[in-house]
Amino acid sequence: MTRHDPSILRGFGLAAALLALAAPGIPATAAPVRTEQAEAELLAERAAPEAGKPFTVALRLQAAKGWHTYWRNPGDSGQPTSIQWQLPAGYHAGPIQWPVPEKLPIGPLANYGYEGEVLLLTDIALPPEAKTPARIAAHAKWLVCNPERCIPQEADLVLDPGAPLRAQQIAYAREALPESAGAGWGLKASGATGGVALEVVPPADLRAMTLHFFPYEEGKVQHAARQPLERRDAGMRLFIPVAAQAVGAFDRVHGLLVADGVRGFEIDVPVKGAVTASPVVGSARPLGLVAALALAFAGGLILNLMPCVLPVLSIKVLGFARRRDAHAMRLHGLLYGAGVLASFLALAGLLIALKAAGAAVGWGFQLQSPVFVALLAMLFLALALNLSGAFEFRSLVPARLANAGASHPHADAFLTGILAVVVASPCTVPFMGAALGYALTESALVALAVFAALGLGMAVPYVLLAFEPRWLRRLPKPGPWMVSLKRWLALPLYATVVWLAWVLSIQVGLAGTQPAQDGWQPYSQARVAELVAQGKPVFVDFTAAWCVTCQVNKQLVLARPDTEHAFAERGVALLRADWTRQDPEITRALAALGRNGVPVYVLYRPGREPRLLPEILTREAVQSALADLST
Amino acid sequence: MKVLIAAFLFTAGNALAGTVGQPAPDFTLNDVGGKPVKLSDYRGSYVVLEWVNPECPYVEKHYGSANMQGLQKEYTAQKVVWLTINSTREGHYEYYPPQKMAVWMKQVGGTPSATLLDPTGTVGRAYQARTTPHMYIVDPKGVLVYAGGIDDKRSTSKEDVKTAKNYVRAALSEALAGKPISAASTASYGCSIKY
Repeated sequence: MTRHDPSILRGFGLAAALLALAAPGIPATAAPVRTEQAEAELLAERAAPEAGKPFTVALRLQAAKGWHTYWRNPGDSGQPTSIQWQLPAGYHAGPIQWPVPEKLPIGPLANYGYEGEVLLLTDIALPPEAKTPARIAAHAKWLVCNPERCIPQEADLVLDPGAPLRAQQIAYAREALPESAGAGWGLKASGATGGVALEVVPPADLRAMTLHFFPYEEGKVQHAARQPLERRDAGMRLFIPVAAQAVGAFDRVHGLLVADGVRGFEIDVPVKGAVTASPVVGSARPLGLVAALALAFAGGLILNLMPCVLPVLSIKVLGFARRRDAHAMRLHGLLYGAGVLASFLALAGLLIALKAAGAAVGWGFQLQSPVFVALLAMLFLALALNLSGAFEFRSLVPARLANAGASHPHADAFLTGILAVVVASPCTVPFMGAALGYALTESALVALAVFAALGLGMAVPYVLLAFEPRWLRRLPKPGPWMVSLKRWLALPLYATVVWLAWVLSIQVGLAGTQPAQDGWQPYSQARVAELVAQGKPVFVDFTAAWCVTCQVNKQLVLARPDTEHAFAERGVALLRADWTRQDPEITRALAALGRNGVPVYVLYRPGREPRLLPEILTREAVQSALADLST
Repeated sequence: MKVLIAAFLFTAGNALAGTVGQPAPDFTLNDVGGKPVKLSDYRGSYVVLEWVNPECPYVEKHYGSANMQGLQKEYTAQKVVWLTINSTREGHYEYYPPQKMAVWMKQVGGTPSATLLDPTGTVGRAYQARTTPHMYIVDPKGVLVYAGGIDDKRSTSKEDVKTAKNYVRAALSEALAGKPISAASTASYGCSIKY
């Protein structure tokens, strides 16, 4: 049988074969029923009933290597084994006595069940006059799974009176059954944030190294989550994370407490106080469209003051004072504004189109291209050299603006607008990442409107000054002071060149990745899932070399010794998702968090929803998120 | 500078995991025809999310008995949007490429509003979907109002569909009648999702 035979994959081929055995008219089998995945048979402890002793029958299920069957609560998926007894009149079967299960991780999920062999014992009550063995049969159903697939199986089984007895095997299985946690145990449960804290004082003779709680009911605990155990003076404290989609209130800790993976104790402890969900901070409700537009407009205004834009624009504005033709000036201003607006809309359109085409891109995609960064660096270098007077380049736009005799003044003004947006991009991308990223997760129309508002905000001061150049009259008359001003204004441009060169060096692999910081691992979704499944909290820093906010946060918060210490103390795994270059996996992870740009800071907590931290990270925000972990 | 930056980084939606009573995580997934489908485009309607894997015996139970197709037909006729999502990872042998998924849905006669593929499992994880089937209901305001099983009879036997209490029908009937959903969180059963 190959794995790729679809009829077998669904399990129906096998189920059908077994059902044939179970069909009426076909005698049930006493010999073990064998499938490729499992073997099933009924075993007896004794040949005939004995007064005062239970008549125990075992369903022996042997799962093949790599396969498992299920406990009474199967965990995140699966199905408990069930037995329908077919007994002579007067006979009564008790419930299945479930042995201690194992927790079986399945990717980010977990099942509770048994690998290999399991004996499911059932005590059968006989009428007092029963002396001779009677026909004991059962219809058993079980689900057998490996981490990749599940096959429902069933069989009619009959106890073979002639088969050798398995008294010892059954006695051993009975011995290993969970006991009731009676007197001698101190147990107290209280509701906490995200789970239940169980205070355990075990009897003096039990020296458990580990404890794990297996609930009888589903929908109460996060099955896959680790249950952190803390040792106290007088015992232990087990934290049981509550299910994300809890079914009903978690008001009883009812199930098995398993010590060292083998000894099970049945407990039923009422929970005092309610389990509370942990608040998610640092992310307010989504803005309304009007507020988003207003903020984008204000953001555009401020862009004029950014170090990459201010030097270039101010030189041009200073030139306004020298111009006389009011009509030409206004036209120039409007065309400049049109250039800015068109550039922002083109940028938004390009991004929306790329996304619609299925490309995993986000805001900042421009700066993810080393070619663009290299061109930008050269442009800034040229502008800076020009301002410092290293050379005059009459043919380039900024110098040309002052030249009233330019041959194509209209195209010139429009191009100036485009240039302004281009030189602003190292600032728009890093400072407005979250805002524009958000706009892009909304509809295309909202995204275009937000980008347009940003463009309007950026264009307005320049256009106003073009309409009202007299506002510039208070400035001193043009003179040598302008030359020294130019020299000073060149400095931020040089700084931008250095920064872009650094980004480029990372992108082309000269510097490998962003400078590594001790204790940080590279991000992957699988790694997060794996760590969370192990019960570890995980902090992910979604960052990029070109993201200034990210770098500021890193220096002021994440790289601080007290923050690093706090992470270490709580056993938080630190992952860094570097978006300096294109990375579809990171883009998708951002989208899952409702974002489309960096920075994003997330604390993944086992058994609880991930918690987003503010983009403007503070040490207090990190500390409070971490403090919340231990409750 | 920090204040200045703060002024512009207005914040986006929460990354709340699929929790009943909270906004349902928004997503965009391609349907089997390659067309992107966005959850928030359906604001104003009830949306059912159904996790599916055609290779799963529990899914076969509900499609083989025409239970799922019946629900899809019944509720899409009442303007409920029904999104069927397969989160099996690409590379798993139970993974169905878009074409195969489309053919399967046609063969079984399913009529969801869209059949979506989530091969990276991003959306499945966002909803903490664990099993196939696993059912969710999002209300017209985008709030998750139901998460759990299809019904209360954990089995692969098609016969059980007749006698089971169908949680999704119960929840939708209450919701469409403007009543609060009495069982908003139930235990789901089925195969584990092959993330």
